[in-house]
Amino acid sequence: MNPKNNLIIALVIAGIIAMSYNIDANPAEFVKGIPNLTIVLKEMTEIEPNLFGTAFWSMLETIEMAFIGTVVGVTIALPLSMLAARNLNSKFVYVPLRGILAAARTFPSILWAILFVIMVGLGTFAGVLAIIMYTVGFIAKLQYESIEAVDSDPVEAVSSIGVSKWQLIRHVVIPESAPHLLSQILYMFDYNVRQTSILGLVGAGGIGFYIINYIKFFEYGKAAVFMLVVLIAVLIIDFVSVKIRDKYIVKAQKGMEVKI
Amino acid sequence: MSFNKLAEKLSPTHLFSNLSTISTKTLIQMNNVWASYDAKNYSLKEITLSIERGTNYSIVGQSGSGKSTLLKLINGMMIPSKGQIKVDYQTPNINNKEFKRAMSKIGYIPQSLGLVKNITVLENVLIGSLPRIGKLNSFLKKFPESEIQEAEKIIKLVGLGGKSERKAYMLSGGEKRRVAIARALMQKPILLLADEIVSELDQVTAREIMDLVADAQQRLNLTAVMVHHDMQLALEYANRVAVIKEGRKILEIGIEGDKIIDFQSGNISQQEIMELYNSNEP
Repeated sequence: MNPKNNLIIALVIAGIIAMSYNIDANPAEFVKGIPNLTIVLKEMTEIEPNLFGTAFWSMLETIEMAFIGTVVGVTIALPLSMLAARNLNSKFVYVPLRGILAAARTFPSILWAILFVIMVGLGTFAGVLAIIMYTVGFIAKLQYESIEAVDSDPVEAVSSIGVSKWQLIRHVVIPESAPHLLSQILYMFDYNVRQTSILGLVGAGGIGFYIINYIKFFEYGKAAVFMLVVLIAVLIIDFVSVKIRDKYIVKAQKGMEVKI
Repeated sequence: MSFNKLAEKLSPTHLFSNLSTISTKTLIQMNNVWASYDAKNYSLKEITLSIERGTNYSIVGQSGSGKSTLLKLINGMMIPSKGQIKVDYQTPNINNKEFKRAMSKIGYIPQSLGLVKNITVLENVLIGSLPRIGKLNSFLKKFPESEIQEAEKIIKLVGLGGKSERKAYMLSGGEKRRVAIARALMQKPILLLADEIVSELDQVTAREIMDLVADAQQRLNLTAVMVHHDMQLALEYANRVAVIKEGRKILEIGIEGDKIIDFQSGNISQQEIMELYNSNEP
């Protein structure tokens, strides 16, 4: 390792120590708190099986919210991403649009949820609107980036036929960026299920509503049932998305790598 | 099976009879053309050539000699720095609306082939018909039945019968080239431009692809301009060959049967051509 690298490492360590002091992050407090954690974990093991039914239905509601939010969000994001791609539009179109999309992404779903609870009242609808908002900002960004990264060879070859810009988008750009889109939608749904699980914290529906209430009243055993259901649901969704990815995305990419 | 035999077997009437007409007039004319990518170094210098309709024309040169640039000038993807180019009486320029219409009749096969990997062979071939399809139908990917039938016929003719629903990324190198040729033929072209389409193939497949292009060119009375670095292949298939070296045309020959004619000094032997092509002198 050269002296320059050593200096960088020393600076990073010094920075972490200074910042920890600044934000009151004391490792001693962490060690001191370990007995508290064991108490909570012990209480969590005293789960109440009769709550599994409620937990299952509230998880289903959470997944429904995430599903609607993802599908509607992606549907709105797709045409916007076409307009926000630098290689397809003039800067008068993509610059303001990118600003709006960045604003939608700046707030996490939970902040959007607070805003929509104020707007439409407590409940799942506010949560769905929050998920849509964040999905639009996020998917549009990922999608306009993959449109900009589309292989230039077919674009150039098909342009030379004398096709219109929209024909080029429909027949080359969309199919070429489609594998990325499927992967992005799966990722977004996965992410939205986790996000929707905590939207209940601000009264925007979903399983998080139960978790936060049981924790507030120190009923860790009851909260544990709901957390366990979230964990199982997320693992199942993860397993299913891996299968879909393998079938439609990884195979396609392997195919593309076939050499002449 | 050759293109001719297959075509006769599949279609009793001439499939492309209405596509183009033979004319002795010049299709491509270049006068003292210079081209540059960076406004400093010229990739092409003082190029003057004339290509008549119906010719199978080859441009041969080592890599970096400027031969691909020449094709981009012909299809308007690049504008010359100096000099004049006319293709079917028009000045090539992709930004010119009138020439954009003419581009629909120029089948261009780049070295990379430019296939859309995630769509089927049929969908790739149908792209060639897009300039003829209305805006709404092309947005909905709704092609007229006649275009689909024509695309299927062309797919059979290029030897890909039964593979029209296969995704492009699943095809072999030779098959991908056949799809690119089919897409170009789907344009009902008067001019076919092909950039080193056989350079990465084995000898057998390369000759199959060259046979396919040559048969299509003769059958449809197309003008074909093909770029190669293999002089032997050019002498075998073309009826005119221009040799480009360091951006300049150093030789232009015509081939009639066994005879090779140098347009500047009369007869020339194949050995002399190869010596000139392989020499290090510019």
